[in-house]
Amino acid sequence: MLLPDAGSVRVGGFDTRRNASEVRRQVGIAIATERSFFARLSARENLDFFATLDDVARSERATRVNEVLQNVGLEEQADTLVMKFSSGMYQRLGIARALVKRPSVLLLDEPTRSMDAATTAHFWTTIRGLAERDTTILLATHNFAEAAAVGDRLLLLHRGELRADRKLAENESSEALRSFYFRTTGEIDEANIKIGSPADLNRSMHL
Amino acid sequence: MTSTSTLEKFYAILRRDLLTAIRHRSGFIVTMVGLLTELAAFYFLSRAIGPGFRPGGVEFFPFILVGTGLYTFFVMSAQAFLNSMQEAQQTGTLEVLMTTSTAPAELVVLSAISAFAGNMLNLVVYLFAGVALFRAAIHANFLSVIAVLIFSLAIALAVGITAAALQVAFQKGSAVLWLFGSGLWFLSGMMFPIQSLPWPLQLISRALPLTYAIDGMRKALLDGQSMITMAPTLAVLAGFSVTLLPLALAALGLSLRRARQDGTLSFY
Repeated sequence: MLLPDAGSVRVGGFDTRRNASEVRRQVGIAIATERSFFARLSARENLDFFATLDDVARSERATRVNEVLQNVGLEEQADTLVMKFSSGMYQRLGIARALVKRPSVLLLDEPTRSMDAATTAHFWTTIRGLAERDTTILLATHNFAEAAAVGDRLLLLHRGELRADRKLAENESSEALRSFYFRTTGEIDEANIKIGSPADLNRSMHL
Repeated sequence: MTSTSTLEKFYAILRRDLLTAIRHRSGFIVTMVGLLTELAAFYFLSRAIGPGFRPGGVEFFPFILVGTGLYTFFVMSAQAFLNSMQEAQQTGTLEVLMTTSTAPAELVVLSAISAFAGNMLNLVVYLFAGVALFRAAIHANFLSVIAVLIFSLAIALAVGITAAALQVAFQKGSAVLWLFGSGLWFLSGMMFPIQSLPWPLQLISRALPLTYAIDGMRKALLDGQSMITMAPTLAVLAGFSVTLLPLALAALGLSLRRARQDGTLSFY
């Protein structure tokens, strides 16, 4: 989507600047923008459209579209115009769109933000299945619990800089991740500040 | 992964636009009503002016029918394409489209052709309604008409793609198109012969591709001139096409590359 300011980025051996088309063929992106669909097309028609532009062969397209709709729990709304979708449904459709080309690298930006618990659980099962089949998953999240539950490597970005790059320990807790984040970035964890009586709070607010 | 042909991608884009237009029924009805109202207005204007005014030796109603039809095709199709680009920027669809394995320039050109094909259909309906409902006298040479239509489409595509390039680069596509539309309105010979203009404005008029497209269509549709007779006009139109289209594509490629470098693709 973007070109680097300096240096180079390689995906699967292909340079993003010189072999952009090859890179785009390998990378699936589920962005946070909800309404990035054609409102007067159904979910199935939208996915078929994007699959065509992503070079998915016509003979495979219908099967793949059904498969990804099922993976995100939208098979019953497949023929509904997306203008009638809720935020959560848009989000799930965005993930289906990223999956339809069977990418070798999958970029997910807060993918479960608007999902209910059951869909989230099913979604992560699908994602783990993809990871086991050699798909690289890059998850951008602010949710420590989710990062601890599904991640195996941590890249900590803070104000545009990479502040940490390490493996996640087996069974590393979300609390441990949280304290690592505040320790590394130097930010103040306001949730852990001990507040005294309401009178103390009132005084501090008038300082 | 198997590659999908350009034709298949074009069909997908055309189908998307067609389904959107069909499901947006009120928009379609408003366009058709607007088109017929405009025709009726020009018909009664020509009756009010009277049969004595025959610009270029033809009746005024067919003269203005061709002029307004082609002008509307140029401006409205460029506007429709620009609107679809702006909408794609606002909703975030443009960013997603740019992440598909289809090259950005190919995607934009196919989308433009689809948008322009829809407006080409409007032009054909407009001309047909003028002839069928308001009895505009025509003596068409269809080969010449098709040749003028093809060159007009190429030039209009260049205008639309340039507006899209300016939209991506400076977010000012609409302003440029407004300026372009206003200038063409009285300089292209749409409503009256350009010979009525003072000579400095005539010079500008002769530098505009739409002037030749309108003149060519009048010769082909109203005068029935053959391609050989109107070869000089077709040569000028071909010259504009082969010059403007590559320039527009280069400008678009440059603005897309810059936007991807700066991260401004979805700015509007």
